Amino acid sequence: MIFAIAWRNVWRQPTRTILSVTGMAFTPMLLVFMVSFQFGSYDTMKASMLRINDGFGQFQAHGYLDEPDMAKTVTSPSKIMDAALALPGITAAAPRANGFGLLANGERSFAAAVVGLDPAADPEVAKISTMIKSGRALSPEDDASIVLGEGLARNLRVDLGDPVTLLGSAVDGSVAADVLTLVGIFGAGVPELDRQIAQMPLSRFNETFFMDGDVHLIAVSGPSLPSVEAAEQQLTHIANDFEVTYLDWAELRPEVRQAISLDQSTAMLMYGTLVVVVVFVILNTLYMSVLERTREFGMLLALGMKPGQIGRMVWAEMIFLSLLGTGSGIILGIALTAYFQNVGIGIEGMGDVYAEWGLPSRFYPVMTLERVLVGPAAIVGSIALLGIIPYRRVLGLEPVKAMAS
Amino acid sequence: MAGEIPRRRLLGQIWGALVVASLPSMSMAQDARDILRAAFDNWRADSSYAKVEMTVKRSNGTRTMTFESWTEGEDRALVRFVAPARDAGNATLQLDGSTYVFNPRLNQIIKLPASAMSQSWMGSDFSYDDLARSEGVIDDYTHRLIQTRSVSGGQAYVIESVPKRGVPVVWGKQVLTVRSDGVLISVEYFDQLGARVREMRADRIGNLGGRPYPVEMTMRRDDEPGEYTTVRTVDARFNIDIPSYLFTRSNLQNPRN
Repeated sequence: MIFAIAWRNVWRQPTRTILSVTGMAFTPMLLVFMVSFQFGSYDTMKASMLRINDGFGQFQAHGYLDEPDMAKTVTSPSKIMDAALALPGITAAAPRANGFGLLANGERSFAAAVVGLDPAADPEVAKISTMIKSGRALSPEDDASIVLGEGLARNLRVDLGDPVTLLGSAVDGSVAADVLTLVGIFGAGVPELDRQIAQMPLSRFNETFFMDGDVHLIAVSGPSLPSVEAAEQQLTHIANDFEVTYLDWAELRPEVRQAISLDQSTAMLMYGTLVVVVVFVILNTLYMSVLERTREFGMLLALGMKPGQIGRMVWAEMIFLSLLGTGSGIILGIALTAYFQNVGIGIEGMGDVYAEWGLPSRFYPVMTLERVLVGPAAIVGSIALLGIIPYRRVLGLEPVKAMAS
Repeated sequence: MAGEIPRRRLLGQIWGALVVASLPSMSMAQDARDILRAAFDNWRADSSYAKVEMTVKRSNGTRTMTFESWTEGEDRALVRFVAPARDAGNATLQLDGSTYVFNPRLNQIIKLPASAMSQSWMGSDFSYDDLARSEGVIDDYTHRLIQTRSVSGGQAYVIESVPKRGVPVVWGKQVLTVRSDGVLISVEYFDQLGARVREMRADRIGNLGGRPYPVEMTMRRDDEPGEYTTVRTVDARFNIDIPSYLFTRSNLQNPRN
């Protein structure tokens, strides 16, 4: 009954209500879009950085991440991969071995990080082996082949087909030496990788560095980062079974997590401020209309309505109004976000900077129920809570005085 | 050379007294330098040949290798591994300030770039820099005698060496302990912040090639106390005639010795 009256009251002044609702709609619209865009950008940042080289998660020997020592190996990699691939959400797993060595071409030599990878499985978890600038990527038939980052190839002054000499330390400390043929040059767009990384087939790496079938890491991937994150508990379980460590994206890339949480906290401060300002503006408008209706409330009291009932009625009106406002804001926001979800947002002139971090030049907002509702819910919640102010105001009214005002 | 040692012992005692008086002076710095000079002369002489067993202890096992080395003057050195089979034939040549590496499997010489000089040498706790610059400490650092103390076999001088300004060096400080007869007893290496990184210490001092010599020395890194590299000199000859072709790149690749 109270709610029916409140609903009727809301539409007693349609123009005014529509104006208020429109005014209220803008902030939720903005919040829906901004939150979706911000978190969408995080998703893009994380996924695209991880897809370049790391994969969405990795198995490593204990302590290898902090102190990458060749002797800290993962034994029986195929068993771990089979166990991981059996999990839902994990669609790819690739073993890798890492060594350091000198690459030489005649008199020229440079230190490089030599990665032994499985040419068939690796492209499923990371793009680096397929980001070929010239020549070709490693293929499963390759043996004494090597693919260099473009910076490394330039420094060594080698061309496709040239022999590249590798001299490094094997896992037991003895000398690892090999002569490999350059079959391809990759460019990940990340100078740090392009200047330092050389890739060779894992099978050849295994012989050259006396790895005895062991690897240094197993990178896993899935259709999306969240699908791999969802499997984290089982992945950790597998890691424990095989006495290795499972590292999620945040452990692999702590600097990305830090950047995100810093960005998040400043953004949250801004959203918080926005919500507070908007809530008080709306509250002020609504409170004004309550003050204007003192005479009407006096009449209702005289007719026998209890002050509590009137208070609840006013409170309900406010909630209705804010629901209408934020509701239309959500609809507008979803429409706006959906539009940009298709076209994306490019930041002019920043493409090169982003490319260095392995990021695309366009970002896309991504909506989830949570991201859409969190901003508007904060507004409705605050108004519903602060509705106590007009409610208390109504409670204090006396019929005669109120009617006389 | 041999005649100099007693004189140094006497000088050392005089300086011990000076240190007590704690009067740092130019002549003290000069003397600290002379002590180091004597230690390196004792270590490598004008020319030397040595046969050395190197044991590398790692968490996943221990390896022992044998190499032969020839040195002449301060900047020519050749090291060639002779055992075990997996390492035999690998060789390192120090010539005109450059370091060359030969690997038999590659049958090729590689000149090490500066960036690779800090890499481990043959998987040991020594780096290529240690091979190349061991004597650089004399000229690239300024030296100060900070203590004299008695050790088994006599007095020892503790010398603190800090790099000269503008000289590209690996360490922030080295503290060398030299026995009065010129035997190097220990070298401690400190980083730029003054924290000790590693220490090389003589485990056994004996007689080799007619001189007192640190026959067995062990290098330990402070961050990996369970791992170490021990070099045991099994044979050595000093001030010998070395044919000039020995320190050449062609001899590195096709040994005539």
